[in-house]
Amino acid sequence: MDFVQNLVTTFNFILQGVWVTIGVTLVALSVGLVFGVAMAMARVYGNSFLQAVAAVYSVIVRAVPVVVIIFILFFVIARFVNLSPFWAGSLALGFASGAYQSEIFRGAFQAVPPGQMIAARAIGMSKLQAIQSIILPQAVRLALPAWGNEATLVLKDSTLVFVVGVPEILRRAQQVSARTLEPFMAFSVAMLLYLILTLVTTQVLQWFERRYRLQM
Amino acid sequence: MSTATAPILRIENIHKSFGETRVLTGISLTVQPQEVVVLVGPSGSGKSTLLRCINLLSPPDSGRIWLEEQEITAPGVNPDKVRQRIGMVFQDFNLFNHLTALGNVMIGLTKVRKMSKKEAHDLAMFELERVGLVDRAHHYPAQLSGGQKQRVAIARALGMDPHMMLFDEPTSALDPELTGEVLEVMQQLAREGMTMIVVSHEMGFARQVASRVVFMEGGVVVEEGTPTQMFEQPVHERTRVFLRKIADMDSGGR
Amino acid sequence: MKKHIVMSMLLIAALLALSACTAVQPAAQQPGAAPAEGSGKLAQIKAAGKIVVGTSADYPPYESIDADGNFVGFDMDLIRAIGERLGVEVEIQDMPFDSLIAALQEGKLDAVIAAMQATAEREEKVDFTIPYRMTKDAFAAAQNSTLVMEKPEDAAGHSIGVQTGTVQERWVQENLVATGLTPADKVFSYERADQAALDVANGRIELLLMDAEPAMELAKQTGLKILLITESTAEGGKSIAIPKGASDLKAELDRIIQEMLEDGTIQRIQEANGLP
Repeated sequence: MDFVQNLVTTFNFILQGVWVTIGVTLVALSVGLVFGVAMAMARVYGNSFLQAVAAVYSVIVRAVPVVVIIFILFFVIARFVNLSPFWAGSLALGFASGAYQSEIFRGAFQAVPPGQMIAARAIGMSKLQAIQSIILPQAVRLALPAWGNEATLVLKDSTLVFVVGVPEILRRAQQVSARTLEPFMAFSVAMLLYLILTLVTTQVLQWFERRYRLQM
Repeated sequence: MSTATAPILRIENIHKSFGETRVLTGISLTVQPQEVVVLVGPSGSGKSTLLRCINLLSPPDSGRIWLEEQEITAPGVNPDKVRQRIGMVFQDFNLFNHLTALGNVMIGLTKVRKMSKKEAHDLAMFELERVGLVDRAHHYPAQLSGGQKQRVAIARALGMDPHMMLFDEPTSALDPELTGEVLEVMQQLAREGMTMIVVSHEMGFARQVASRVVFMEGGVVVEEGTPTQMFEQPVHERTRVFLRKIADMDSGGR
Repeated sequence: MKKHIVMSMLLIAALLALSACTAVQPAAQQPGAAPAEGSGKLAQIKAAGKIVVGTSADYPPYESIDADGNFVGFDMDLIRAIGERLGVEVEIQDMPFDSLIAALQEGKLDAVIAAMQATAEREEKVDFTIPYRMTKDAFAAAQNSTLVMEKPEDAAGHSIGVQTGTVQERWVQENLVATGLTPADKVFSYERADQAALDVANGRIELLLMDAEPAMELAKQTGLKILLITESTAEGGKSIAIPKGASDLKAELDRIIQEMLEDGTIQRIQEANGLP
């Protein structure tokens, strides 16, 4: 019965990290979405200065390991604003994801037929209105498959925020294995939880994909 | 009666180039209210470009345009406002793929004309009825035939309550058996008194509906006149040759 | 476009340079509200009413997290006792061991207690209090070993395992091999301590010399017995790390630690956590 007892304790302990992991992932994905869409818009529709800024952001951030960005944002930028590890870590992860998402949305924007913009302008929409109500809704649908992939990557990258002290699933597994000296059990539980989270995420996103598939 | 004869559109000496290619090289044209002007000419003669200059989708490099006596090429004119007064229909429909037929008509009403959802819905249904597509209101573009798509596009333009309409080869992407339903809608519009500029090689439509036929070539107007003049006794040899060619294609195609 | 790329590159370079400059300033501002000019780290902590202490809670019995999520272990009990004497609340922040020094340098933490030794490398970046516990080493042997040890030199002549690159390896080389007490081919260097422990348990080698606490843990798991626990093979001790230049904090912590060493408080906390 010792084994079952241990398993239950281990599971319950690591389970508390699930909410942290979900929180970090959601914040990071949302921040990345805002950054990604804005940068993609700058890239595709902006003037040459905005295009350059967006291109440099994308190239530099994607060239640097995510964990380094988390470190820099937590220790350098958080010097001016006192952020908790959770927020610093999540925002940093989102900032990094934004670069990848900007590439996803850039492709999606470019995949919307040019006639859509022309038709929108022809009924008197401003460029911004046209992007907002005509291009963006279609680009989002086109981006969904790649975005779903990015979502699972961010979910897994959420383990990295531990470097600034956020107790998510993986860190909880480390903590419990240090105490019980049963790393195999601890990391199996962690693996199971990540597997469940990834499967749920994938299923939800696939439902969205089917529901909002764009027919052309 | 001077107001009655004031032109709705006056174009003066327009030039437009794309890079090295000079597409319009000094076009002038005047359109009276309720006129239906059919633009013909070989491909590359600048017909589509002219339409896009008129609603400022691609503003002319030089020359001036007046819409209802307001110079729209003057600095400080908001092109979005100008476009609300000019409806446009495209060769390949350009319906918004993520919206139903109803949504396509409604979006301009809510976003540009700032109508409430309810108002927009009712007006959109009215416009769809005008083009005979109420029963397709909740279909997406992918579920519509080409002719139906083009009729939705017309309804979308009409919803903005335009003062004139531009048609850029509205039937040339359609299978021959689908052109009739679109031309019928256009004919009905003309009867209702809509001012229209139509780029089209539908000679039957031109003969029946056009008040004027304008022949363009090489970025200038070569000749213009009533359909009868143009088809029966054109002044220029080039006009005769061109119109003969499409008349042959027309009859050959049916 | 080209020009703009160059411009944004320059902008980023300027930002990095700026942050590098600010990094040079004494990073003792956070946590807690901006302190009055000229007041020291200790005064800031007292003003805030709490001390933020970093640890890496995966190293029992020094620091770990119990099933209810509480920080437990020798270091945790000790820092809470220190907090009591300082008259401030103790807030513990868990981080990976490798992040602790950086967090302390950047002012994210007021102090670090993580069974940390004051190495020369670390002393370049942060300051350390006096050791609150001397490092102890253990000699372990198989359960059926008949060896008896009273001092480290009693290991002379027996085959012995150590971990590569450790202070214990150096001690064996300098005190047993160089002096001719043990032939060089009887010293075995292992990548990991648990491999050495397994070889001791299997009778391949007679002795194992390593850090005392993990040795006791390993002994429990692999069925070894501890022959001797000693400070004389070890170097230095475990200290609390504090921000560079926080001299008032160092003076106060040194005083409290000295007091606790003398009045037996530390001894008591050690025993409560099963430490030798």
